[in-house]
Amino acid sequence: MAEREITLMKGNEAIAHAAIRCGCDGYFGYPITPQSEVLETLAEQKPWETTGMVVLQAESETSSINMVYGGAATGKKVMTSSSSPGISLMQEGISYLAGAELPCLVVNVSRGGPGLGTIQPSQADYFQSCKGGGHGDYRLIVLAPSSVQEMADFVYLAFELAFKYRNPAMILTDGVIGQMMEKVELPPFKARRTEKEIIEQCPWAANGRPAGRKPNIITSLELDPAVMEEINIRLQKKYAQIQENEVRVEEFMLEDAEYAIVAFGSAARIAKKAIEMAREEGIKVGLLRPITLWPFPIKEVEALSKKVKGILSLEINAGQMVEDIRLAVNGRIPVSHYGRLGGIIPAPDEAVVELKKLIK
Amino acid sequence: MKQEIIIAGFGGQGVLSMGKILAYSGLIEGKEVTWMPAYGPEQRGGTANVTVIVNDEPISSPILSTYDTAIILNQPSMEKFESKVKPGGTLIYDGYGISVPPTRKDINVYRVDAMDVAAKMNLIKIFNMILLGSYLKLHPIVKIESVLSALKKTLPERHHGLIPQNEEAIKKGMELV
Repeated sequence: MAEREITLMKGNEAIAHAAIRCGCDGYFGYPITPQSEVLETLAEQKPWETTGMVVLQAESETSSINMVYGGAATGKKVMTSSSSPGISLMQEGISYLAGAELPCLVVNVSRGGPGLGTIQPSQADYFQSCKGGGHGDYRLIVLAPSSVQEMADFVYLAFELAFKYRNPAMILTDGVIGQMMEKVELPPFKARRTEKEIIEQCPWAANGRPAGRKPNIITSLELDPAVMEEINIRLQKKYAQIQENEVRVEEFMLEDAEYAIVAFGSAARIAKKAIEMAREEGIKVGLLRPITLWPFPIKEVEALSKKVKGILSLEINAGQMVEDIRLAVNGRIPVSHYGRLGGIIPAPDEAVVELKKLIK
Repeated sequence: MKQEIIIAGFGGQGVLSMGKILAYSGLIEGKEVTWMPAYGPEQRGGTANVTVIVNDEPISSPILSTYDTAIILNQPSMEKFESKVKPGGTLIYDGYGISVPPTRKDINVYRVDAMDVAAKMNLIKIFNMILLGSYLKLHPIVKIESVLSALKKTLPERHHGLIPQNEEAIKKGMELV
């Protein structure tokens, strides 16, 4: 499409439109607040009549993620979305996808927990997304959008990275970005891949064995521990490669900064406002925003700790990413955390107060 | 120009749609906009509010602690948001839903009897457009033509016949302040 299409939509709607436009083959999901508009928008758009994309409301999150496993095993571009409790139900499947090295996209529009919790926004799923969630030594590629535009763009990026590394990718967002409407320019249409293209691009996929080729087996099971260790070592090499090549950050007003806020997703938006307010009072502060939560920007935070006098980790949780920041800072400068819990969103002026405590 | 606005009232009063039309109008004029609803189990009769920001510059936080303008449609929202209007800011409220009027002297307060006027004009379902008109008279951040285009974009086609009534309501609102 030559014409630029700028429109106003919710983050959740942007995810759905981007999925159709990026040539996604299948979406499998189950409704849950605050992400239900993803499935609703797909149902309204009826992509099965246009691009041929399958949209299916499964009977549960467990079956959604296993449908994703099945689709991904054939080399198709498939995805699901849910919110925190639903993502917890998917963890077994996510571990299997990582173990079988299957590319896919899982979107978590997270809400306050633990348990059934609340439907209000939260970033308390950082640990679950970046440190496991499911069992075993695995990693997800985790992207954290902080605008409706990035919700759309990161669907494309997540699939690109998932297929590049044969690894599940996650978009970790929350009810703020999911429910908010903002300007978005939808990315250009990409046709779904043909069967021939999938065979060429995914020689590992189980999509019909031509005569003479060995069967492709998709599994995460290996009972011989020596072989299983080899598989794990290979996975770790892949993760090291992702850590080396795929870190993404945004820097905001860091040039002259004496202090820094590190924040991701919706908290990074609040942090920017807090920075505008603090700078009006003469406090030189900037923002480092991890866009990839895993791979975490270790080198970038380390470099920051050699430049500023203190870091405030602003998160909508009780202090999760701050652990990774402290590891990267390694004691060089003070690192504090501020967050609100259970679905309460920290206001920009609260962040300014916390910043001043750090400076004292 | 930048306006940070909170619109608050009961669910069903058209709080979210008023915000949406304002945000769309901004979009049509090429401005930066955000529309952030307090979403939840709210339905007709519960409380509802939306933060709308219209700016010529990129917008940092869609969530705010203080506002340039508050448009208040019921008493619980008055209690919650009167104190959050910036000094020198604007508070517009519908007289019908308010039992205790605002008391602050450091902000500009406008009472608009939108519900009463809407009832007389038989426009009760679009009394929110009267308030939008009053707001736009005080803060002309978008043109009326943009609002009408926004209505075309946001209303389903079967309701496009109602656009002239909406225009009438907006103009009435402009007269009331």
